[in-house]
Amino acid sequence: MRQIQPRRNYLGAVGWLWAGNYKLERYLYILHRITGLGILLFLLLHLMMTTVFRIQGQDVWETTMSILHNPWFKIGEYLVVIAFVYHALNGLRLILQELGFLMGRPIPPIYPYRDSLRKKRPWTIAMIAVVVILALVFFYDFIIGGW
Amino acid sequence: MRNTYLRLLQLVTGILIAVLLGVHMVLMHLDAILGFFGVDVKDVTSWGSMIERARQGIWAGLYIALLAVVLYHALNGLRNVILELTPSARTERVVTWAIVAFGIVAFVWCSYVPIALLSA
Repeated sequence: MRQIQPRRNYLGAVGWLWAGNYKLERYLYILHRITGLGILLFLLLHLMMTTVFRIQGQDVWETTMSILHNPWFKIGEYLVVIAFVYHALNGLRLILQELGFLMGRPIPPIYPYRDSLRKKRPWTIAMIAVVVILALVFFYDFIIGGW
Repeated sequence: MRNTYLRLLQLVTGILIAVLLGVHMVLMHLDAILGFFGVDVKDVTSWGSMIERARQGIWAGLYIALLAVVLYHALNGLRNVILELTPSARTERVVTWAIVAFGIVAFVWCSYVPIALLSA
């Protein structure tokens, strides 16, 4: 049976960064991808740390932890937390929109038009605001909790 | 059709991760703020605190459940990113099976460790 081929992605990986006149949501998509790949990288290191180094007993664990309590790792850890918060909240927004929420009911196209972009933009702004607030909360705790 | 179900699972695991990893993040990182509300989480990364959690079945179960959903979400996400470049059917199969194999190995090894540590 002949298979229907998907349309070719002519821009390749460059198209992830730039493929035309972008609006806010499209930049969030790039950030979603970057944070996703960043968290994947962290996940691999984290799984190594919590398995290979943990199973070898207390001494190896404490040596690993003393290396990871270095300020540079703490900064990296903070970035991972922020990436997770962003990825989770933006993902939630995408799920809600994919299922048709937050966009209002469809109406006939009669002037003055009400498009879905204008309906969902306030939710996007609200999502960014929540991310910023949570980033500040975690920043406060990282400072107070000591490096 | 097959990719539709993979996509649906991506959404479901995404919501599960937001909940499970949210708990993980708050417990691991918000110690000062939790302390203000009277929840004392102690030094979560010390050996004593870690091994105390590792001996409880509920934590091992939660971590293995989190591992399963996270591995699915992460590896399926990576596969989506790679396949968005529309490689040939052959490359697509290689990528898919490499990712499936890696996922199985990672799941088996990373769930063996918490089970072994239950009796540590």
